[in-house]
Amino acid sequence: MKKLIKKKFVRYTLLIVVILGVTIIGLTLNRRSFADQNVSGRDRDLTDFSTIESLEKARKGYNVKNGAEKMPVYGNWQNFYKKDGLPSDKAYTVRINGDQVLVGTHDGLAVYENGEWRTYTTEDGLAHNGVVSIDVNVLTGDVWLGTLGGLTRWSAGKFETFDQFNSGMPNDLVYSVFCFGKDVWMATGGGAGSYDNYTKKWEIFTEQNAPMHEPWTYSVSAGDGKVWIACWGGGVVEYNIETKQFRDYNDPDGFMEIDLDPDDGVIHAITTATYYAEGILWVATYFGLSRYDGRNWKGYFDHDCGLISNFINFVRAEGPVAFICTDLGLSTFNSDTWVTYKRNDNNEDGKAIVMKGTEVIKEIPLSPSISHNFVIGVDVEDDVIWLATSKGVSRGERIN
Amino acid sequence: MKARFRILVNFVLFLLLSFFYVNGQEKVANYGNIPDEVVAFRKYREAYKYHFIEPMQFYGAGREKPAPTDLEEVRLGFLGPLEGSMIVDLGMQMLQGSMLAIEEANNKGGYNGTPFKLMVHNDFGLWGAAANEVIKMDDEGIWAWVGTIDDINSHVAIRATLKSEILVVNPGNPDPTYTETAIPWVIRVIPDDRQSCYALVNRVYRIDNYPRVAVIRTTGRYGREGTKHFNRTATRLGFPIIIEERFNDGESDFKPQLERIKKISPDAILMWGNARESGLIVKQIRELGMEQPIFGSDRMVSPEFLKIAGKHAEGVVTTCQYNPNTDDPKYKAFKANYVKRFDQEPDVFAAHAYDAINIIIEAIHKVGLNRVLIRDVATDMKTFQGHEGITGIMIFDGAWNNIRPIFMAEVHNGKFEFYPAPPWVQAKQ
Repeated sequence: MKKLIKKKFVRYTLLIVVILGVTIIGLTLNRRSFADQNVSGRDRDLTDFSTIESLEKARKGYNVKNGAEKMPVYGNWQNFYKKDGLPSDKAYTVRINGDQVLVGTHDGLAVYENGEWRTYTTEDGLAHNGVVSIDVNVLTGDVWLGTLGGLTRWSAGKFETFDQFNSGMPNDLVYSVFCFGKDVWMATGGGAGSYDNYTKKWEIFTEQNAPMHEPWTYSVSAGDGKVWIACWGGGVVEYNIETKQFRDYNDPDGFMEIDLDPDDGVIHAITTATYYAEGILWVATYFGLSRYDGRNWKGYFDHDCGLISNFINFVRAEGPVAFICTDLGLSTFNSDTWVTYKRNDNNEDGKAIVMKGTEVIKEIPLSPSISHNFVIGVDVEDDVIWLATSKGVSRGERIN
Repeated sequence: MKARFRILVNFVLFLLLSFFYVNGQEKVANYGNIPDEVVAFRKYREAYKYHFIEPMQFYGAGREKPAPTDLEEVRLGFLGPLEGSMIVDLGMQMLQGSMLAIEEANNKGGYNGTPFKLMVHNDFGLWGAAANEVIKMDDEGIWAWVGTIDDINSHVAIRATLKSEILVVNPGNPDPTYTETAIPWVIRVIPDDRQSCYALVNRVYRIDNYPRVAVIRTTGRYGREGTKHFNRTATRLGFPIIIEERFNDGESDFKPQLERIKKISPDAILMWGNARESGLIVKQIRELGMEQPIFGSDRMVSPEFLKIAGKHAEGVVTTCQYNPNTDDPKYKAFKANYVKRFDQEPDVFAAHAYDAINIIIEAIHKVGLNRVLIRDVATDMKTFQGHEGITGIMIFDGAWNNIRPIFMAEVHNGKFEFYPAPPWVQAKQ
């Protein structure tokens, strides 16, 4: 053997084989790590809890620990479709209004009250049957409906329409409406606008008078004396109502095709929604989620946390919890723990996936689950949650 | 022994190199044909996330919706500048290209005997008119639509199309950011200004070696976004633009801007604007005694530009998204039919609109009347990947941009001559 090893040819051969082996292992690991980086939340192989025992346990409230117990978990889902009285299966938005639940669908406004659905359409006075945004003015009790063809006020049983021809509306396509004090704010296809309920005056915000790149706005929300407009291609524009000063937040790297650093600002210029609660501004994009605490930005993507998808249709926050409507399910997040609701592909059941970072803590089976994974709207009050989805409306109750 | 050892070493090296080559092929290609050396920040670090590498999927409902059985016509939408806009001529060409495709499809029996009908909408009007028009198209029950040219109107319209969930095939807007919105309802058949800018940068800096370039562009989004990738790429190569002057659409006197450019004696001038203004600028550049080579945007490839610039157009270099002088029989047939039908030569918008409508019609023939399924088949990166249109091959990237090789256009003897854009010239080591 020693003789054999002493032979030059064999020694070199062994050396080359070792080098080759190490190189191949290195490259293989590198490749795997590259693949891991690109894996999305949707592709993670999750343990399936499908036993009766685990189901029972879920109903009683799972013993999620390590701080995760602070996150509300919703179950006992009840789903509604056209066959149950909705004007359409395609629901855009939902708003809880006392004993009523208002749902904007592609074919009209649906109101759920005393266990029954009632529909309102253009025949009743709606500006357009496609109702994409709803808010309620707490001062007046008026319901404001943003539609695909104008803004409608529902007050004292009557519908009144505002459009580009009869008012100071920026555009008839109202993507978002938000009531803040006496004002009604809206984000439209032609800029943001506000309507003062007292003075009846309109104000328009476009690239002509605000730091927007173009007059394209997609969402508006407000809180603590400020309004946040999600500007399509222009990040977020903040408007201070008292000082009338603007401030804009955009992706600092300036490139549409990359995000250089997830925590350096809004993660992308294409923003789809904003929501402010408890001092935190949440910003939704089709590229991931951003969180701003007034000092620091933090970005979240589907490959580095419990966010189920980067394609976010809408975000709403209640207290510390953000409810993130994505095309692959509803993710909720309290800056620590993620809970994602997802329906199975082949049946009406699904699960709530509790995660911290990229680690799955629990999977809670849900039967039934939400009506569809393409979630477009959400509202929460007390222990009840409502979802508007691409196919149906869902109602859930807190189970922990 | 030495010979055997050499053979062994060579064999191992061969294995290693093969392994590296195969492994390297699996690397994700740069989005949008971005040359390696100009990928954003790559000289210093990798980005945390690269977008548009994989196409977006649509996970919403709607595929189960049955096709209607009582239709008298299959409606397709059209959105373009037809009234009140400064680019009505381009819009009319786009409309005529669309109409020709529809008429030819109907002559072949429409969709299973039901004729196609184009629902025509003007994109120019009150603020955000394009959004309202898309909603009208939704109400009209269209199955997909084509349009438009103007950057702003195109952006406004795609958000509405996302909400309405209707496929749009864009034949005319070259704004790179248009498809960089992650909307899974849009594909673009016309190569964008990113491709034009890379071709121009390559020509100006790497082939012709003009390090000091002045830019004069329209103030609007067309000029701003159009020149963005030229400016960025030039800067990354080490040649920042030495001056940028702007003008408004409709202006006729550009001497103040040109005087400022003249003062700093650039090596070359890049202009970005519509045909009329570009023609006037070229004329005024030469009238001022400036002899610099002139490069410009594809909208200069127009009879209007040649007419206005006259003899001064000689030597002007631009890009073109296709070759209008091709001998391809399909294009020649289209051109002959177009001239016969409209008594006018087709332009880039007519040709790409013709391709766009034909993609939609083919998609409908494949999957039937269901908006989501039409979207699925048009964007699956298989059915229409490599599709041969009259304008050339369709090579879609992760954002559904057509990134096929484009053409350079150069004026000789009063006419544009077209030739393939040369491959990217690497930096000298």
